[in-house]
Amino acid sequence: MKKRLKLTDISREEDSQLTEIVPDDLIPLPAPYDKPGWPADFQQLTADQQQRLVCNLDGFVALGLPRPRNEAEEKKYTELFISGMNKLLSRENNWTFLQPLLLSLDYCARCQTCNDACHVYVASGKNDLYRPTYRSEIFRNLVSRHARRRGKLRGIFGGKNVDLNWSTISRLYELSYRCNLCRRCAQACPMGVDNGLITREIRKLFSQELGWAPQELHEKGTVLQLKVGSPTGMSPDVLRDNVAFLDDDFSTSIGFNVSTPWDKEGADVLLIHSAGDILSFPESPAAFSILCQAAGIDWTLSSEIGGYDGVNYGLFYDDIQLARIAVRHAETARKLNVNKIVMGECGHQHKALMTVADRVLTGDLNIPRESAMTFLEDIVFSGKINFDPSKNDFPVTLHDPCNIVRNLGIVGPQRRILRYLCPQFREMMPHGVDNYCCGGGGGFSVMSGVNFTNWKVNIAGRMKFKQVLEAFSDRPGPEVKKYVCAPCLNCKLQFRDMFSYYRAGEKSGIKCGGLAELIVNAMADIKQAFISWEE
Amino acid sequence: MPQMDLAGQKYEVDEHGFMQETSRWTEDVARAYASLENVKELTADHWKAINYLRSYYLQNGICPMVRRLIKETGFTLKRLYDLFPNGPAQSACKWAGVPKPTGCV
Repeated sequence: MKKRLKLTDISREEDSQLTEIVPDDLIPLPAPYDKPGWPADFQQLTADQQQRLVCNLDGFVALGLPRPRNEAEEKKYTELFISGMNKLLSRENNWTFLQPLLLSLDYCARCQTCNDACHVYVASGKNDLYRPTYRSEIFRNLVSRHARRRGKLRGIFGGKNVDLNWSTISRLYELSYRCNLCRRCAQACPMGVDNGLITREIRKLFSQELGWAPQELHEKGTVLQLKVGSPTGMSPDVLRDNVAFLDDDFSTSIGFNVSTPWDKEGADVLLIHSAGDILSFPESPAAFSILCQAAGIDWTLSSEIGGYDGVNYGLFYDDIQLARIAVRHAETARKLNVNKIVMGECGHQHKALMTVADRVLTGDLNIPRESAMTFLEDIVFSGKINFDPSKNDFPVTLHDPCNIVRNLGIVGPQRRILRYLCPQFREMMPHGVDNYCCGGGGGFSVMSGVNFTNWKVNIAGRMKFKQVLEAFSDRPGPEVKKYVCAPCLNCKLQFRDMFSYYRAGEKSGIKCGGLAELIVNAMADIKQAFISWEE
Repeated sequence: MPQMDLAGQKYEVDEHGFMQETSRWTEDVARAYASLENVKELTADHWKAINYLRSYYLQNGICPMVRRLIKETGFTLKRLYDLFPNGPAQSACKWAGVPKPTGCV
């Protein structure tokens, strides 16, 4: 029996974990993934890690915050947290999300309807720590006493106050990275309160005021992208060399002459991939090159720093980095004088550049931006390419990336493509705007932290893994090859980590890839299979 | 920064055991990493992959695409997993003494 967590537990001064996650509490997975205990690869924190790092939440560590050296340091960060709360609530310092943040802080009726919408909370076996309301309510309590000073009624009716101390802020920091920012809770809320946004704003406070952010998102993420061109470390020279290699390699292997254009001024379309696709899922950029070429699109890639990697990790934790990167993307397009920017298959790129960046892309930087989903739909139904859907005659299901589907409302185009080209297409339940996150959202798919991967695959991704297995329950064996179409690089990375952790390739014959690959695989003019099933 | 003992020397590593000081790598470091993953002996095929990864990294600042590694070494992905139990990124890059790949990879 789990102990109920109180809000005030977060400020407990001793160094202990707030809760422990045990395998028996988690929702069960179908066979053959229903063995008791943690899977063999499960990684516990080592004694050395526990001694060096702050490990006071749930037995998992994403951030690896060093322990404070002395009380003065604890006090300094606690004071910065207070000034950060004040900045979050001021118009001058929060140009992006002030209004929805205030509404979400003010209007929660504490009905807890959102809880059951959260895949993390449900998959964990309903652990209080992961309620969407747990972290928000703590933050609301701190804000009302330290930043808004309007909490008189709360003082009378609202129960105990949460102490603000080192334990509180260090736990809250780690806890702000236990939410995928998928906003399924916001969709379920009868008041429209957005706990995903509150979480994101807590992360922003830590980054912009305390200088605390996950290394994978900041130093090795946005900082590296602004300096070298991509968080992968891929410089323009290496990029061009890699894509030339892929053009050549795919031309040979599929017998279709692929040639990717670079830096073409005045092109109709500037396509910005997630550059990680070039390295980890090269079939995806290759498929885009083939389709654009076959459909006669006037298009180009950019090899400018700022123009070839569409990721923008700033969306997950920091407005300043978000704006810097979005402006670099738009400047590249303006310099090339293209008519529009098309997003690659990357969900958070869609949200960052198509909507959030509206606030910074003014004047001639406000270049039309289009989703890969509608772009691909237009190509498929243009009549310029002949398809033979029987080439895709294997079970296919579709994962809805939260940022493209729930957050931008782009639901239909990808389905019309799959219904046309994949005879064995089947939906997961639920799907569309009611989908569950893959578990890699909110930056998690690039964060492996200290032992964070274990949390991502066992808890955050659990609901999605269960859904995938259920969608294929009519053909469960590994002899039937099955394809999870996830038109988002971050989602694909999460699926890759999950499928490898659970050995889903060998046990169930499941692989994951994008949408463009399925389209090319169905092209009648390409004789060789484009999708490879080799593990 | 955590430290790790490899072949009798101390090295700075990340939380997953990847070396942070690429220039201090030696062949004994690669052997020490291999033995931690229960690979007792490094064969010519291991060295072919390790040396290619290392020289590509030193020249380009990142690890090569797996597809390129496959083409340059002539090994299939399955063969690479036979040689390096946790695969090209988690084992081969680590044994070659280069940092863990970053970003969406």
